[in-house]
Amino acid sequence: MTARNASCPSPSAMPNTRTDSYQLALQQLTDSALPTGAFAHSLGFETYIERGMVHDEGSFGVWLSAFIGQQLTYSDGLAIRFLYEGAPVAELDSMLTAQLLPRQLREASTKMGTRLLEIGNEVFPSPELAAYRELVTAGRSAGHQPLAFAVVARSLGVPLPEALAAYLFAAVTSLTQNAVRAIPLGQNAGQRLLRNASDGVAAAVEQVGHLTPDDFGAVSPGLEISQMRHERQRARMFMS
Amino acid sequence: MSTTAAEPAQAVISPGSADRPERGRLELLITERRGKSIASRQFHQGALRVLRPHYLDDSGQVCYVLVNPGGAYLGADLYVIDVEVGDGAKLLLTTQSATKIYRTPGSFAEQRMTLRLGDGAQLELAPDQLIAYREASYRQNTHITVRPSSSLMMSEVITPGWSPDGSSFRYEELRLRSEIHVETGAGTELLALDNLLVRPPLNDVTGMAFMEGFSHLGSLIVVDPRVDQALADELHSVTQGHDAYTGISLTHSVAGTTGLIVRSLANSTEELARLLGACTALLRHNWNGQDPLNLRKH
Repeated sequence: MTARNASCPSPSAMPNTRTDSYQLALQQLTDSALPTGAFAHSLGFETYIERGMVHDEGSFGVWLSAFIGQQLTYSDGLAIRFLYEGAPVAELDSMLTAQLLPRQLREASTKMGTRLLEIGNEVFPSPELAAYRELVTAGRSAGHQPLAFAVVARSLGVPLPEALAAYLFAAVTSLTQNAVRAIPLGQNAGQRLLRNASDGVAAAVEQVGHLTPDDFGAVSPGLEISQMRHERQRARMFMS
Repeated sequence: MSTTAAEPAQAVISPGSADRPERGRLELLITERRGKSIASRQFHQGALRVLRPHYLDDSGQVCYVLVNPGGAYLGADLYVIDVEVGDGAKLLLTTQSATKIYRTPGSFAEQRMTLRLGDGAQLELAPDQLIAYREASYRQNTHITVRPSSSLMMSEVITPGWSPDGSSFRYEELRLRSEIHVETGAGTELLALDNLLVRPPLNDVTGMAFMEGFSHLGSLIVVDPRVDQALADELHSVTQGHDAYTGISLTHSVAGTTGLIVRSLANSTEELARLLGACTALLRHNWNGQDPLNLRKH
């Protein structure tokens, strides 16, 4: 692992004192207004809404914390760490494609990933990003969101723990905003959910550092089945 | 397992630990001879062997039943299964009884299975359920290589385990990891990676997102050039009538072949066996003109 010590600021010490050149870039990259199409994906929670199991702030919080601790940790988070540790992006790309068994989940990752590659190419170009984009254009890679993010973040010099926390929290923010619209929840409930989810994100960042290659892509059966069943849901707001 | 974090590439190869004693080994090479599949090479050692082969119908598919004479997997045991189904050959591999994992203090029992399918080869893998007892840890690594024209069907049922006080999910850890690669003249590409990790002591596995209140988990993975969305839809209708929570989806396609996965949660081994059996019955009928699999008759 790359340094997860001094370069990881404690939340209280973060503003003012740091002037790292990547800070604003990272904010832009993880802003929920970044046009990757995240508003169109529930990544499976819409199935729980349809079944009546996610219907309020508390029940969505349960789903969200399971999603952070499983999917975001074992797939997205671990892929980001492996990329930072020098694993070839093409290999990680094919592992994600093979591991994301629910079709809509795989397509969500590559749709948002491809958009992120395009945006990144415009605003944060780097040789590494160009190389990944090249693989995708040539049809040799699918272009997954966590990898596109990791390539850009790494090229900007963002330390791994910060990159992981930013990525996970951005994913959580998009999902929560989508839940606020879909369930629906009040705006303040959305903010409470985000605040509560930050502990889960911190735990996930820690956990990602402890996992082994054999852990990559470990799934939760219930999450996965719900993501698969979304393909057959009649009335739906989301593409996944 | 002392895997170094810096080598994610190893995840694809499933690293082993050299210090584990090998308790059983089975090697099988099935080839096709005049419309009938036979074992042209067979080797077993230690606590793994196969019963005499038999033929359930006139399709030429040979059936081997895997037996663990010890009856169970114990701590630090390593079992190695290496099966090759040659071009055009057809194998049904099943087990004599449930795979039982007993207490594995300080270590874990492990099964490493390597399966290789030739051009037009068929492999149907239909083991009995897996039961992990209290304080059991188990790792199952399955590495499969198919050709674009191969046909693979593999099912698996996992129970909540068993403990003397009657409570369930008392085992330490279950890891079932399967990789399926497609080999072509141009190289080998990863088609599917299915990684199930259940650690009851660390997480509540019974609730939302994990077991969803159910006790048993079943999976069916099919890889075949004939897999398509219409088949997924047909299998979806088949699963509708069962008392289970089921999802079906397709993998990406590699060199003209595609994977299909059925994942299902239910409250008994029997319900899952019926559901997965109904799915494989449809495939056996549509693709091979075979009757539903009924091993208990024999």
